[in-house]
Amino acid sequence: MDKKKFKILMIVDIVLIIGIFALMMVLKGQYNDQAQKSVNEQVGAYLEQSNGVVQDQWKSVDQYGMAWRLVYATLTNVKTEAAFDAAVKAIEEDKDARFKQLSYMYEAAGIPAQAQNSIYEKAGLADKFLLKNEGGVKEVACGKNCVITFTFAKGKLKSSDYKALAGYNMAENFKLEAPAAFHFE
Amino acid sequence: MNVKTISIALTVLVVALLATLLMQKSGYVSQATEHYEKTTTKSYKGASQIVEYVNNSIETNKGVWALACEAVQSVKTSQDQARLEAKYFPSTKGSMSIANLTRRFEATGAYYIVSKFSKVEVDKKTEVKSLAGLVSVNVNALVGNPGEEIAEEEEGEEGAEEAVEEAPAPKKAAKPVKAAKGKKGKKGKKR
Repeated sequence: MDKKKFKILMIVDIVLIIGIFALMMVLKGQYNDQAQKSVNEQVGAYLEQSNGVVQDQWKSVDQYGMAWRLVYATLTNVKTEAAFDAAVKAIEEDKDARFKQLSYMYEAAGIPAQAQNSIYEKAGLADKFLLKNEGGVKEVACGKNCVITFTFAKGKLKSSDYKALAGYNMAENFKLEAPAAFHFE
Repeated sequence: MNVKTISIALTVLVVALLATLLMQKSGYVSQATEHYEKTTTKSYKGASQIVEYVNNSIETNKGVWALACEAVQSVKTSQDQARLEAKYFPSTKGSMSIANLTRRFEATGAYYIVSKFSKVEVDKKTEVKSLAGLVSVNVNALVGNPGEEIAEEEEGEEGAEEAVEEAPAPKKAAKPVKAAKGKKGKKGKKR
């Protein structure tokens, strides 16, 4: 090649270097924004999922605790429909007692008070307890996918079916999936 | 000659820059992946631990509740309760207090029940004492009020001792507290 061609090559190189450098600077900013956005979105989605499981479990344990109180009350002294309705109302409305029982179970599980409070602040307590009340048949929530039934005839307790509660497998209902692989979109 | 060298060097630089440009994205991807994995793994570990510990704790709690509920329906004597205990917790045995007419079953330090009976029965052949006539099953420790249960037990024991001492002499010594401590709790043995 002669000198002239090398000169042209040199000029092209310089133009390319400036162009590539400018492109790198532009992409740097873009990639940075994209990476931050992707990380925030995916981390946020996972935290929502994992916190959701913990909060759902908290509310389920609340229902579970209330259900046992009700079963015990029914077996020991509640024999009429009116007394049962009153017991359901009393148990559900005594939020201090619910929190106390719930917190006691979490403490027994080794969950510190600080962690309990942060779950409680987000989740609150369960908002459902008596699920169905038709023709003397009462269905009560005892956790996620757990329902117990009490049947009354002419205002008197006919049967208490709490097999679902006695055989409740909480571990089957509360499992946390490991985080999925990160996708850079 | 000079122009030739410079243009070759610049060409090499262009190639190097192109390579850097292509690798630029993977640098951000690996940095973002690292941050994502670190944050989500921390959350996963913390949340899984809570979920798992609570699941395990509830499993024990459920057994004690089921035991209490079956006891109020079918138990008449302390032997009946012992059989139920073996059914729900084969490796844990309850403890009996003849003086207090109670049988205490403690699955863990937190979860226990105390059954109160009305009388002591003695086997004529073996002279083994047992309790009969179930009066109540105290589930305060299951509803989060274990302190109330202890206070109740202490009161019960004081009452019992007073009743025993009433007949022979009017001595109301300051024994009850000591006695209560000796007899109470901590007997739910795990084999």
